Amino acid sequence: MLFQLTINNQKHEVEADPATPLLWVLRDHLGFTGTKFGCGIGQCGACTVHLNGMATRSCILPVEAVAAMSISTIEGLSPDGSHPLQKLWVDMNVPQCGYCQSGMLMAASALLQEKPKPTDADIDAAMTNICRCGTYPRIRAAIHKAAAAIADNAAPAATEQV
Amino acid sequence: MTIDVQMNRRQFIVAAAAIGGGLALGFHNEWGNAATPAGAAASEFNPWLVIHPDNSVVIRVTTPEVGTGAATQLAMTVCEELQCDWSKVRIEYGTLNDDDNNHKIFTKSVPVFAFFSGRSTQTERNKTLLQVGASARERLKLAAAQVWKVPVSEVTAENSVLTHKVSGKTLTYGAVAARAATVKLAVEPALKPQNEWTSLGKKSPSKLHIPQIVNGSAQYGIDIRLPGMLYAALMQSPVQDGQVKSYDFAKIKHMPGVRGIAVIKGGAALKVSQGLASQPWSMADDRTGAVAVVADHYWQARKALEALPLEWEDGAGVRWKNTEQIFDAAKKALDETGGIVRKDSGEVEAELAKQPKIIEATYTTPYCDQAPIEPLNGTALVTPERIDLWHPTQIADNARAAVYEETGLAPEKIFVHQTLIGGAFGRRTTCDDVRMVVAVAAQFPGKPVHVIWSREETMRQGRYRALTAIKLKAGLDKDGMPQALIAHSAARAANARPPFSTSVQFSPTTMGLLDGSYVGTIVPHTKVVTHELPVHIRTGAYRGPHYNSTCFMVESFIDECAHAAKIDPLEYRLRLHAKWPDPGWTACLKEAAKQAEWGKPLPKGMARGIAIGNFGMFGQPQAGTTVCTIAKVEVSSKGELKVHQIDLALDCGSLMNPDAVRAQMEGGTIFGMNMALNEKLTVQDGRIVEGNFDVYPMLHMADMPQINIHFGALTQHERFAELGEAPTGTVGPAIANAIFAVTGKRLRSMPFRDHDLSWS
Repeated sequence: MLFQLTINNQKHEVEADPATPLLWVLRDHLGFTGTKFGCGIGQCGACTVHLNGMATRSCILPVEAVAAMSISTIEGLSPDGSHPLQKLWVDMNVPQCGYCQSGMLMAASALLQEKPKPTDADIDAAMTNICRCGTYPRIRAAIHKAAAAIADNAAPAATEQV
Repeated sequence: MTIDVQMNRRQFIVAAAAIGGGLALGFHNEWGNAATPAGAAASEFNPWLVIHPDNSVVIRVTTPEVGTGAATQLAMTVCEELQCDWSKVRIEYGTLNDDDNNHKIFTKSVPVFAFFSGRSTQTERNKTLLQVGASARERLKLAAAQVWKVPVSEVTAENSVLTHKVSGKTLTYGAVAARAATVKLAVEPALKPQNEWTSLGKKSPSKLHIPQIVNGSAQYGIDIRLPGMLYAALMQSPVQDGQVKSYDFAKIKHMPGVRGIAVIKGGAALKVSQGLASQPWSMADDRTGAVAVVADHYWQARKALEALPLEWEDGAGVRWKNTEQIFDAAKKALDETGGIVRKDSGEVEAELAKQPKIIEATYTTPYCDQAPIEPLNGTALVTPERIDLWHPTQIADNARAAVYEETGLAPEKIFVHQTLIGGAFGRRTTCDDVRMVVAVAAQFPGKPVHVIWSREETMRQGRYRALTAIKLKAGLDKDGMPQALIAHSAARAANARPPFSTSVQFSPTTMGLLDGSYVGTIVPHTKVVTHELPVHIRTGAYRGPHYNSTCFMVESFIDECAHAAKIDPLEYRLRLHAKWPDPGWTACLKEAAKQAEWGKPLPKGMARGIAIGNFGMFGQPQAGTTVCTIAKVEVSSKGELKVHQIDLALDCGSLMNPDAVRAQMEGGTIFGMNMALNEKLTVQDGRIVEGNFDVYPMLHMADMPQINIHFGALTQHERFAELGEAPTGTVGPAIANAIFAVTGKRLRSMPFRDHDLSWS
């Protein structure tokens, strides 16, 4: 069956069985390999993408269910790696093996959209992805720092007005 | 192209060449005795370091990047001497074929671990890499001196810029790179002393692969895409020594995208490697019977495999009805005569009988899966002339040996292309995955075949942390200190070949016990006996092999001894290690205790627990990484456990990259905490039951304690020891000992979630 998908603001046509999970359509049919396969049962979150801005696990989501939605993948998080989370992930050496991190970044960026100043409890509730290397403490620290950086940029810059 | 060859002081040959207008450095065997090897063709030269005219630096590294920063470390080591602009540095993976063409410099100087992700700071490796950097720097300086017609002693090199101090003239590395390829060094430069290092041990740059990770472009094994590539979904016999009995491909061959089926017969390898550059270790000799359905897309292959009528001929392992039966067999083995006596100081029984108090306990640990988040996978293109393998292997040497053993093709016709690795923790050392990938692809010659294990297949076809039972019996003297210790262990040995299978150091189930600090030195009279457990379930390396079990058992048992002696557990360990000729142990105990405020009162229901261990010491003082972990936990009267804080002090000798060390301590602690609290695989009718994270739980963000890593116990000994394993062992017993302090319940088995921790 032919589907028209909007991925990272671009239209894509894909021929696939309607029951094929979005994850495999992204990875195998369209080459968006930044979205990862980890468990296939929605447990680990390595396959997290945004559907209409909401963090969603794509490994258990049939492509037919998302045809009308706006899909964002890690490749679309920013054009040049300049999202505050991406920059801090680099600066703070957050990833170890890195395999879970595109899912972590998609979950964290959706969290910051919803809650620009998340508490630890907000982070605990939103960040349920699994990291086997043990990068959780750095992810938490980077999310807090990104929230502060975004708030600083959004606020009227006092120094410019002086 | 011009080529210059120099013998250096380390007895290997640095060869320089002009390639593409830049400077390339490598090593070459054939040119070793030739004065003017200018006739050699450019294609024969595989440089390990290239400086391009645009100032960019490419460093070829041998260690894959598994998450430790090992690949970045190798580049950092070269750059300490090269003194180049770090922002211009790029890494590429060197291959075994490159090594073959470069005097086998890495497999010779770093035997066994040359292409292994875990040993990036090994001493001989450091020297080789530093020498390459120094050699390039001196050639660049000499080239600049020639341009300026000044003595080379007046030229300095810093941040990819060469400066003539007297005149203030500058040139970039790139500007003189071509000339540097033609200069002659009278002698290869001496390395600067360690105390003059400006970067190593001080700086922690961002790992070089992170920018690709955060934009999704990083290529792991599972991301390989080749023209005409087919996808395969794999299923191996659920009982690991079984075979395919029957299948009916006709029922699925008309399903969408299906291209074919590969049936793999289980059994021994075709050949066994001999005379390879480095000795394969920790390798699987066998494979389990399997089928793979091959299709245009993975999901098509997987759905067709699920629909395939398929029957298995279970192997002998089906006789193990459940896990309890295996534990019973292990405990029974502990009491049997026989076994292999690994150490016997003599008169142990007599010494034991003299002591006023005897402490005895049996500890067990279950099968555990490494569970890297990237499922097992690999891609191979098999043709009569050559085999290409794209693989997230932890050890390319082993991978090449496995391809050779599966196919019999000469090693120089085997090309292993290293990819990024989505976690491994030992799982990608045994190369059973490589064998299976090649076996499937060999049935589709000329087509690249990408084989993916489902999560369930990954988890149920593991090379597991061995199910282990150890019985410990200690005799305490009138002061409560152990004078004699007898240990019996039972487990199946990990896959290994000589010398590893026969070495006492690597003997099954005793790493961290036999080769730790207690046996022989601290406790004078000791005996260690191992019993092989004849279970078919495959075992392998799991972060901190064997030590991950034995550290829990030994450090909990030491706590039992301290309790029996009515001595504070910290004080008890300090007294024990006062006899041990490595000050790092006492330093770790004291630093962790200070930072964790050991002894400071806590509310009812909370307590601290302590454990100390070392991975990599092999019985020696001042070797490996020593770690002391103190856990602060809370247990409600209903038995709910919360780990609040972990304080960890380490001594790995010296630091290369402080933040990377910190990351390994954090990660190893979380890995070990998950192992201790959560992980357990069970067996039913010879099969592993658990297949996914819903029944093999992982800690999440919300479960994290505050983790504090302390560098105050570093002895600055000259070694840069392996890091990732040590913290995995100590966190479990630290938590268990804290639980005992709250509840009075001694946990003698993992995982802790199986225990009723309620108290009143």
